[in-house]
Amino acid sequence: MGGAARPRGRALEMSRFFDLYWQRLRRDRWQLLSWVASIGALAFFATTAVASAYGDDASRTEILHVATATPAILILRGLVRGPALDAFTFFQIFAFLGVLAGLMNTFLAVRHTRAEEEAGRAELVASTAAGRWMPLAATVTHGLVGNVLVAAAVTFGFIAGGLDAAGSLVAGLAVGATGLAFLTVGLLASEFMSTSRGANGAAAGVVVAAYLLRGFGDATGEVSQDGLTVTAAWPSWVSPIGWGQQTFAYTGNRLWPLLLPLGLGIICVSLTAVIMSKRDVGASVLAGRRGRTDARPSLRGPFALALRLQQGAIVSWCIGGFIAGLLTGALGAAIQQVSIANSSVTAILRAMIEAQGTSMTQLVIAVLFEIGGILAAACGLQAVLRLRQEEVAGTAELVLSQPLGRIRWFGSFLGLGAVSVVLVMVFAAFGAWYSLLVSGESAVEVSNLWETAGAQIPAALLYLAAPAAVFVTVPRATVPIGWALLALGVVLGIYGGMLGFDKSLRDLSPFTHTPVVTNTGTDWSGGFWMLGIGAALVTFAFLAVRRREVGTV
Amino acid sequence: MDPVIQTVDLHKNFGRVKALDGLDLEVTAGQVHGFLGPNGAGKSTTLRILLGLARASSGAARVLGLHPWTDAVELHRRVASVPGDVSIWPNLSGGEAIDFLSRLRDGGADRAGYRRNKERLCQLFDFDPTKKGRAYSKGNRQKVALIAALVADCEVYLLDEPTSGLDPLMEAVFTREIRRLVSEKGATVLLSSHILSEVEQLADSVSIIRAGRIVDGGTLDSLRHLTRTGISFAQDQVDVQALQGLSQVHDLTVAAGRIKFNADSDRVHEVLPILGRLGVQGLLVAPPSLEELFLRHYGDALPPQSEEAKPDGGTHHGRSRPPAGTGA
Ligand SMILES: Nc1ncnc2c1ncn2[C@@H]1O[C@H](COP(=O)(O)OP(=O)(O)O)[C@@H](O)[C@H]1O
Ligand SMILES: [Mg+2]
Repeated sequence: MGGAARPRGRALEMSRFFDLYWQRLRRDRWQLLSWVASIGALAFFATTAVASAYGDDASRTEILHVATATPAILILRGLVRGPALDAFTFFQIFAFLGVLAGLMNTFLAVRHTRAEEEAGRAELVASTAAGRWMPLAATVTHGLVGNVLVAAAVTFGFIAGGLDAAGSLVAGLAVGATGLAFLTVGLLASEFMSTSRGANGAAAGVVVAAYLLRGFGDATGEVSQDGLTVTAAWPSWVSPIGWGQQTFAYTGNRLWPLLLPLGLGIICVSLTAVIMSKRDVGASVLAGRRGRTDARPSLRGPFALALRLQQGAIVSWCIGGFIAGLLTGALGAAIQQVSIANSSVTAILRAMIEAQGTSMTQLVIAVLFEIGGILAAACGLQAVLRLRQEEVAGTAELVLSQPLGRIRWFGSFLGLGAVSVVLVMVFAAFGAWYSLLVSGESAVEVSNLWETAGAQIPAALLYLAAPAAVFVTVPRATVPIGWALLALGVVLGIYGGMLGFDKSLRDLSPFTHTPVVTNTGTDWSGGFWMLGIGAALVTFAFLAVRRREVGTV
Repeated sequence: MDPVIQTVDLHKNFGRVKALDGLDLEVTAGQVHGFLGPNGAGKSTTLRILLGLARASSGAARVLGLHPWTDAVELHRRVASVPGDVSIWPNLSGGEAIDFLSRLRDGGADRAGYRRNKERLCQLFDFDPTKKGRAYSKGNRQKVALIAALVADCEVYLLDEPTSGLDPLMEAVFTREIRRLVSEKGATVLLSSHILSEVEQLADSVSIIRAGRIVDGGTLDSLRHLTRTGISFAQDQVDVQALQGLSQVHDLTVAAGRIKFNADSDRVHEVLPILGRLGVQGLLVAPPSLEELFLRHYGDALPPQSEEAKPDGGTHHGRSRPPAGTGA
């Protein structure tokens, strides 16, 4: 009798599991599809762009020589493994694909774990026969399937672009495995943080840290005699994105480095399970504390509310900017010390560049401040996303039912967004100034540093103004359009040049127009144009918000 | 005297959905006005338009003589409200949220007596203001909005199903506080609900909304004739012949050992002496419900929303209850 009952029980469990899995897939289908399609499309377009811009070995060799001579730019690219078209493409785009896969996975993990608990829906499921493990298993399965799709999309994207099939498969698997590692990072972050915002922030921070670590490792790696291959330094080996690069797709096709992300995944899932078995549904390791009976006198008016809601995020972005700044001094010094003596080509090139008055450290600053500018833009975007969240949650309705004009409410959140954009760059500049002071670097003038930081601000402010205009006109599109604008801006503006995208396409990105600070003078016109466009967009948003209903879903 | 709240031929469309379809509502000063209707009838939409949060597609709305959409800020100084679905900030404590909202209103948190009043309300509603927003249940979130509204000194209170998450004990507290507002300050209250008995205790008059229109209204007493009270008692040896002929008695049935019938609510007192003479045992008298009122008087044209709730899904004969205790 018991023997007959057990298989039936197992069948029932399986069907419950599939119910949970389908529910996740149904909910995410468009989102997942657009992530997978974008990642695959990027692989394809990067390949065709590189092939048309750098068609022959000679031009690619030249680029690689410049890259190894000025390793700072390797932070934004990858590991140099020779001038063949497929290896060159992998060098250009893999790290960015890894970041995209990482963000897709951390958001996916948090969406189905901490966010569900926060909304109280997880409790509903946990109290049914599904228990507490089955939802986790369903989320992991959902993520696994997502990463298989990502791997397939990258593989086909590269093959369709005309690259070698076996190497493309390795490259696809590398992106998928990187994504898988970050899926489990997201699961673990959900256990530690008590809010989905916190969990998303922490996990996305790990993705950015992994990107920077491998950048550090690639930039300080050992350059070969011909200046066309680099052996990564240790920081690349503590980054899931770095592990993916170690497959040497197209040139080595090694699969064993992918055991590292899989191992990390197993560790993270085990830790998640251990923590889950010890805590209540809804609680977290870093649980929220009790609050005050009365509000502090400073909690007055919409700006104070915006600050209270955003302070955690702003502090995190500022820390991010500060770290990017701190890296400049350390990285500049490390690059100077790396021996390039055995590569005469690289040494000669570097001497030529330095003779023109551009120091290696200055290049490092330019690159890291570009990253700081992206952080500042994301921080501005978040101010608008918070407005939308307030509206969807219903707290906007609570506030706007009080005698408070909509303009003041809207303006307070945007104002704080603008302040935080500036703050992120101030912290980046301060970090850079401090680290250069410590490392004894004197080639860079301090005024140059502040100018470079200030130059990033107009583009970042556009990421406050444009989403604000979307928020007042097409509210429900605020979140997807906001992030899409940022991703497009980064792809076209920061990577577009190296990928060989057409200039008219690159000009669409605000980051393309960021003024370049040089010793001989700076052209600020791009910055002023962007400030003007931003002002126009914000003016439009202020006019339109008065005519807009509250709580439009 | 002009009505405090007045809407004339109010329409609101969401795409093809007509949430409001020519709504005429009037609320007299100093009254508690019940705004009754099933889910999806358009109560929240009406209140949101009256608050200037949503804009009417056509028609006119005035609150205290002001235009809600254009004079929103001025209006909000004089109107307090509780939204239908209260959410509060997850990382602010309940006490902080109440203080913050009061300061937006009139710097209220600094006024003499504010803190005393807030503490009094927190105690009355058995509300712990130190918990963070994410830790509150639906009822407790509702208490945040309720306390923030009650602590404000306003002329008009717009309350959207304010007791839907409260237990009966808290409902009684709520009823007492609303009575106080009206008798002490002469405030006007518009109170929406989909449960008749909730409104019954408080309202001087009611408007009944269905599918975006007012279908009935007036004082509560004038509506009683529309409703019937359910009466049942044990069957044992009672001669039901005496009841069958009465004009106040409807739908008499015998099932599962009990005799049941409905009586016109305003004539129940005429039936009770007869029941007394019959010496009935286990007498149960169920108050009329809004649902019953709807089924009885507007049942032939029920909106689809209220049908969805039925398990057999939207067929009209689903309404005739299957006889209890078949095969007995
Ligand atoms: N923002 C909206 N978009 C589309 N339809 C809506 C929206 N708000 C309300 N509705 C529709 O309008 C009708 C009335 O809704 P509501 O006013 O919330 O009813 P009630 O509060 O009486 O339950 C419902 O059919 C609802 O689905
Ligand atoms: Mg409602």
